[in-house]
Amino acid sequence: MKEKTRREELADSKISRRDFMGAAAVAAFTVVPRHVLGGPRRIPPSEKVNIAGIGVGGRGGGDIEAVSSQNIVALCDVDWRRAAGTFRRHPNAKKYKDFRIMLEKEDKNIDAVVVATPDHVHAPASMMAMKMDKHVYCEKPLTHSVYESRMMAETAREHKVATQMGNQGQASEQTRLMCEAVWDGAIGQVHEVHVWTDRPMRGINGLYWPQGVERPEETPPVPDGLDWDLWLGPAPYRSYHPSYVPFKWRGWWDFGTGALGDIGCHRIDPVFRALKLGHPTTVGACCTIVNDETYPVASRVTYEFPARPGFDPVTLHWYDGGMKPPRPEELEEGRSWGTNGILFVGDKGKMLEERLIPESRQKEYGKPPQKLERSPGHHAEWINACKGGKPAGSNFPDHAGLLAQVVLLGNLALRPALKEKLTRVKLHWDGDNMKVTNLPEANQYLRREYRRGWTL
Amino acid sequence: MKDEKKSKSISRRDFMGASAAFTAFTVVPSHVLGGPGRVPPSEKLNIAGVGIGGRGEGDLHECGSENIVALCDVDDKYAARVFKKYPNAEKYHDFRKMLDNQKNIDAVVIATPDHNHAVVAMAAIKRGKHVYCEKPLAHSIYEVRKLTEAAREAGVATQLGNQGQASEGTRLVCEFIADGAIGPVRQVHSWCNRPISPRGIERPKDTLTVPDTLNWDLWLGPAPYRPYHPCYLPFNWRGWWDFGTGVLGDIGCHQFVSIFRALKLGYPTSVEACSSNFYEPAAVTEQTAPKASIVRYDFPARQGMPPVKLTWYDGGLMPARPEELEEGLRFGNPDDNLYIGDKGKMLGHRLLPEARSKEYGKPPRVLPRSPGHHKEWINACKGGEPAGSNFDVAGPLTEVVLLGNVALRMGQQLYEKGLKLHYDGPDMKVTNLPEANKYIRSEYREGWTL
Repeated sequence: MKEKTRREELADSKISRRDFMGAAAVAAFTVVPRHVLGGPRRIPPSEKVNIAGIGVGGRGGGDIEAVSSQNIVALCDVDWRRAAGTFRRHPNAKKYKDFRIMLEKEDKNIDAVVVATPDHVHAPASMMAMKMDKHVYCEKPLTHSVYESRMMAETAREHKVATQMGNQGQASEQTRLMCEAVWDGAIGQVHEVHVWTDRPMRGINGLYWPQGVERPEETPPVPDGLDWDLWLGPAPYRSYHPSYVPFKWRGWWDFGTGALGDIGCHRIDPVFRALKLGHPTTVGACCTIVNDETYPVASRVTYEFPARPGFDPVTLHWYDGGMKPPRPEELEEGRSWGTNGILFVGDKGKMLEERLIPESRQKEYGKPPQKLERSPGHHAEWINACKGGKPAGSNFPDHAGLLAQVVLLGNLALRPALKEKLTRVKLHWDGDNMKVTNLPEANQYLRREYRRGWTL
Repeated sequence: MKDEKKSKSISRRDFMGASAAFTAFTVVPSHVLGGPGRVPPSEKLNIAGVGIGGRGEGDLHECGSENIVALCDVDDKYAARVFKKYPNAEKYHDFRKMLDNQKNIDAVVIATPDHNHAVVAMAAIKRGKHVYCEKPLAHSIYEVRKLTEAAREAGVATQLGNQGQASEGTRLVCEFIADGAIGPVRQVHSWCNRPISPRGIERPKDTLTVPDTLNWDLWLGPAPYRPYHPCYLPFNWRGWWDFGTGVLGDIGCHQFVSIFRALKLGYPTSVEACSSNFYEPAAVTEQTAPKASIVRYDFPARQGMPPVKLTWYDGGLMPARPEELEEGLRFGNPDDNLYIGDKGKMLGHRLLPEARSKEYGKPPRVLPRSPGHHKEWINACKGGEPAGSNFDVAGPLTEVVLLGNVALRMGQQLYEKGLKLHYDGPDMKVTNLPEANKYIRSEYREGWTL
């Protein structure tokens, strides 16, 4: 309490246009502490945002390009081989390996950061930036653990920074159509939703990443250009191996979040929006043989959500590794489906992605009344928000934090150590208190110890 | 072909075959006419075992009341223990030689890998031997059909090795459902999560020397030639498409038997399947069954029962936990069936929830109990009534099980083409995706015929 007062005093003493701006942003989020130290630099719409990239080699390279209308002032990657292309495209940006050093040195030059590291580094990087009042664009899934997602949402709210998670589908017309059709009652009350992906294994694109494998025993030398210790970041130490980096870290418990973590934030997002979901009451799962090293080859995760105002309880089934829901009878023979998808099952019809099925039903129905504003683009939403515009569609406090918590909660139900117990119960989830209520040992997986030298 | 067969074996057995064929599906022919190898109840059967190293040992043990007169195995090392157990039995490597040379055999117990079931069983049936064959009845739908027909024609006593059919549990399932305990059943979920053998892998690239104790060529039998490798045997052949039939083939004939009986199932109208083999390269999908799969069958309305959807899961996958199952009770038996009716659910033969089960008690007992699975067959061999899983029953069951593998082998094509496989059971044909039919019958290696 004392500290709050002090902060408020501090804030008052620094009153400026920036704080008004902050207050406006706060109003948009509805619930928010007023007391914030400093806050982000005010950037008029006519100015450019000074952006730093953290993890710029893979998806990060794409994210940087998507915001390259702004000033790219610094780039950080622990693997300079992989980052070389992005470095070349932005020769004026300062180069770093350690985001902590970058943020400290470039504090004054950076308004915002784009985080596209492996999942296990999302939270430490984003949290440090937010605590320094930097706006943050962070790739999906928001974090590696449920706890980290919760902290990200709280910190973003507290620091009034503009945030956006990298689930770009949220900005799409398709997502809006799904919401509007459901809200229009096109398929009645929805009691069941199926979401599936072709990940994790090879997938239609030839190669994703392995799951259901053991830790390699060889210890090849760390390649030049890669700072392995920094790559590990807060994760427990282990020897370098090309099975982890680049990209294939997704399948490993210590680094990635599996198929569900990778794709859940994309594909469960429209379901969250259309059905106005919050925390589920229970989670259960089944999967192929799973070990303590990697996520399983295939899984089904089932979430039960309680009734929400205007919406009946709904069960959400997630499938990966090639598993799919039953082919809906309404789907016309010969109509291709199945690689990745969302199927809403309502009491008055079904919707595959944004189209009612069968197609004749969609034709007859036409388009739902437009209720949602269209997006200027996923990255543009965030840039606008950085400049004092309205919060981006997947900002952390209002949306992405919760979505990511729920997605990541599904991975608890796949934990090998819980498998036997989970034949007897579903995980009962108290979302508000971030706690599994009926299987206390599950709670250890909500949050993990960081390696020495790393904090959230 | 037909003429040849007739000229060879025209006999009382043919009458028997004809009448059995007429009645076999519903009623049991009580009149048994002898035929070759017919043994009076007071005497012992002379039994030969083919494929005795693994499950075969157990099967022979179950037939221990009879004379074990011959043993055949292609793997001396794996079979050594069983050879020793029956010192008086003649020993063979090649079942063809055994059947040709040893005339005192009444009946054959077959527990080879799946890909050899049909050739062995057919050879035995054609010689008028009674046959006990491990599940699945054969490696392909075509083989199953031919065996079923041949056994009927020959009038031999048959039994598939799905011993659960003889259980009290199977009878209870039938009696609960017949009694309307859960109302008309529209969905059944069936699963097996036993780690039966490696799957979802590529063929090994190294070539090893065949052990002295193994006749690799005979082990391969009708399957396409490939170099020996210990990844195939013993036991691990189950995951390889050329030899085994995956988890579904291995366990489906066990798991589905209660469902088939209770719901009087015949052929499904359609089937679809998804699996962890999706998106794997052909080097995996053409070689082995998937690590995990879901197979979905649609059965039409039959005998006063509504259409029913049967879903099979393996590799760790299961249906979602039913709400009716009380918290704390296990829902994770490595294999089980969940029946969903209009008026309730049943897990195995236990009504859900426990309170409902207690209230209901046991259904009226209407089905005769079994003297034991192997005993049923022994009795049938001696002129008793046909065994519970005689091929007239086990054949269609196995065909349906193996049809799931046809869908699995079509892989993601089903989804790309937007189809379920539409199946004409009596005609053994996928009607809407002709290329699937190549999985209904496989080519035999030169020198092998059915």
